[in-house]
Amino acid sequence: MSGTGPRENVFATRMALTNTKLRLKGAETGHSLLAKKRDALTTRFRAILRKVDEAKRKMGRVMQLASFSMAEVTYTTGDISYIVQEQAKLATFRVKAKQENVSGVLLPGFDVDRVPGSDFNLTGLGRGGQQVLRAKEVYAKALETLVELASLQTAFTILDEVIRATNRRVNAIEHVIIPRLDNTIKYILSELDEMDREEFFRLKKVQGKKKRDAGKAEMQAIADEEDSEVLKRLDEQQEPTVDLLSSKDADIIF
Amino acid sequence: MASTTSFKDRNLIAVIGDEDSITGLLLAGVGHVNEHQRKNFLVVDSKTQISSIEAAFQEFTQRKDIAIVLINQHIAEKIRTTVDRYQQAFPTLLEIPSKDHPYDPSKDSVLKRVQKLFGE
Amino acid sequence: MEGLFFNVNCGFLEGIVRGYKSGTLTQAHYASLTQCETLEDFKTQLSATDYGNFLANEPSPLSTATITDKATQILVDQFNFLRTNAVEPLSKFLDYITYAYMIDNVVLLITGTLHERDTHELLERCHPLGIFDTMPALCVATNVEELYQSVLVETPIAPYFRDCLSAADLDDLNIEIIRNTVYKAYLEDFYNYVSTLGSPTADVMQNILGFEADRRTINITINSFDTAELSKEQRAKLFPAIGRLFPAGNNILAKADDIDQVRQVCENVGEYRSFFDNSASAQNNGDLGDLGVAAQLEERFFRMEVHLNKLSFLQQFQYGVFYSYMKLKEQEIRNITWIAECIAQDARDRMHDFIPIF
Repeated sequence: MSGTGPRENVFATRMALTNTKLRLKGAETGHSLLAKKRDALTTRFRAILRKVDEAKRKMGRVMQLASFSMAEVTYTTGDISYIVQEQAKLATFRVKAKQENVSGVLLPGFDVDRVPGSDFNLTGLGRGGQQVLRAKEVYAKALETLVELASLQTAFTILDEVIRATNRRVNAIEHVIIPRLDNTIKYILSELDEMDREEFFRLKKVQGKKKRDAGKAEMQAIADEEDSEVLKRLDEQQEPTVDLLSSKDADIIF
Repeated sequence: MASTTSFKDRNLIAVIGDEDSITGLLLAGVGHVNEHQRKNFLVVDSKTQISSIEAAFQEFTQRKDIAIVLINQHIAEKIRTTVDRYQQAFPTLLEIPSKDHPYDPSKDSVLKRVQKLFGE
Repeated sequence: MEGLFFNVNCGFLEGIVRGYKSGTLTQAHYASLTQCETLEDFKTQLSATDYGNFLANEPSPLSTATITDKATQILVDQFNFLRTNAVEPLSKFLDYITYAYMIDNVVLLITGTLHERDTHELLERCHPLGIFDTMPALCVATNVEELYQSVLVETPIAPYFRDCLSAADLDDLNIEIIRNTVYKAYLEDFYNYVSTLGSPTADVMQNILGFEADRRTINITINSFDTAELSKEQRAKLFPAIGRLFPAGNNILAKADDIDQVRQVCENVGEYRSFFDNSASAQNNGDLGDLGVAAQLEERFFRMEVHLNKLSFLQQFQYGVFYSYMKLKEQEIRNITWIAECIAQDARDRMHDFIPIF
């Protein structure tokens, strides 16, 4: 018996064989599709990786610029941090979620959603207002970079997760499901062969018996023929004296 | 993924940082104080306890209206284990440089993963 | 006649101030400071100047904020020495100098109270020069009404608040408008006070305060373009009624809508003409148009301030030197902070944008 690996628990019938073969085919198609998906995702993933790397470095520069503009503010206006912290009430710089579809994976991203706010418009009114304004703009720009980076990073995390899941599936199909179906098919085939051989043997046996029976019957027939000829002759001789009681008439029921 | 279903409601940016970074980002308009008087930013100075940074980090990462959490890298260093353990997609965690601490890519937990994946 | 008796009361202190003044950083100092690679170097270089070992006990790494704080502390100590040794009318003059810082501190406390913060924490953030004995009493106030009353009772700057604002205003108006309203009252009062001191103090100080007033007027104008929160009538109320631009210039500025109108007003005053000079070249520097002009303007104001304050040292027998010394020293601290920031943030190309004093 060739059922060395794990196989499914099925009765070895032709029906089951057809079904299993269909399933194997399905699994193979699925495997190639998933593998394609994985490749597509990985390509995307690599692109994003590169972008993340780039954006992180860019962020370093942008943030440096931003904190420098803050230094300019401190230079002209003095310490405004407390005032600013206390005046913050409603966020004017928000993000909006968006989605992008990559090979069936929904990748979320963020868009800047900025409403013109006037929270700090008068900060530095008497001195350094322009610097404050500029720092505001520079920081807003820096934030845009940060939001972009955040989108990339989210995409990165999710893609990473999805690719892992896809990989798991591809591997599962390749190393578990397909071999198991293969084994099942082999098992069914071997069982069927076994059954074929049994059947063949049985038929042979039947045929042999039949042959023997036929031979016997023939001998019997020849013997019978000889017997009947003797009887015929006897009959011909004793024709008129027919015993009505000893011969049955088919038309008479009783 | 359960987290994707609710991410549409997330639209705030939270910040944990030193005074200058916070001031700048607040100027740009990220500051938000909600109806429970909870702020979405935490100013960290030399006197701030690590435990309160941790607490703020946990709060920001668990709030449902925050899409991005920005944290100064040198502050992330202080709670590095927590930050490294954080793997959720939402809210997105970003480590940003601060005035006195230029950006060091080798410490970033996301970038570390990036580099690992590149096989370097 | 004034000069005859000046030295009886103030000769010692004037000598001290002039001595302090010779301790300000020179070009050579700045040159060596800008050569520094790290803040540690910076510290070493500073210890070779009159600042001495003021950073000796600071733990590494040094932050720029610490440097500023410590440098300010030195200035405050010097000032307090002068103040305790001063007699009338110099002591009153010195008090006037502190009022400006008090206004900032009180405004800070108002902000804290408005947002129901624990104002005791804020005491640390207050400028040390603006601290007055009764300040902790202000922290007791829990709402704006109480705070307003305490300000009126407890603080030396009560008249400015009483004349310009009501308790309700504190609640309604933007905190910056409050600050500038009070500051305007302060400037005008200071101006009147120095006028009573007579020549030569009045001459010197009126010049400097006039410029300060004009600077605020121009700044308020530029900063309130396109803001709904500050209407033109309100804007006009924030302009100090002194200075070279007053009254005609102020009237035009009150109605101005863009930077060109400000420029035209400044054209009429000889000293200010240079503020808008070659602003075209500033735009070419890749700056953001009007924003660039205005940013440059701020720097020119600083230069002008330094220039005027330097002039006051040329006159003897007057109080202007005390005021000027404080302002110059403040500028110096700003310069030190700036260079330190540039070092910390590695922005060497901008390092020379400070304003040298001597």
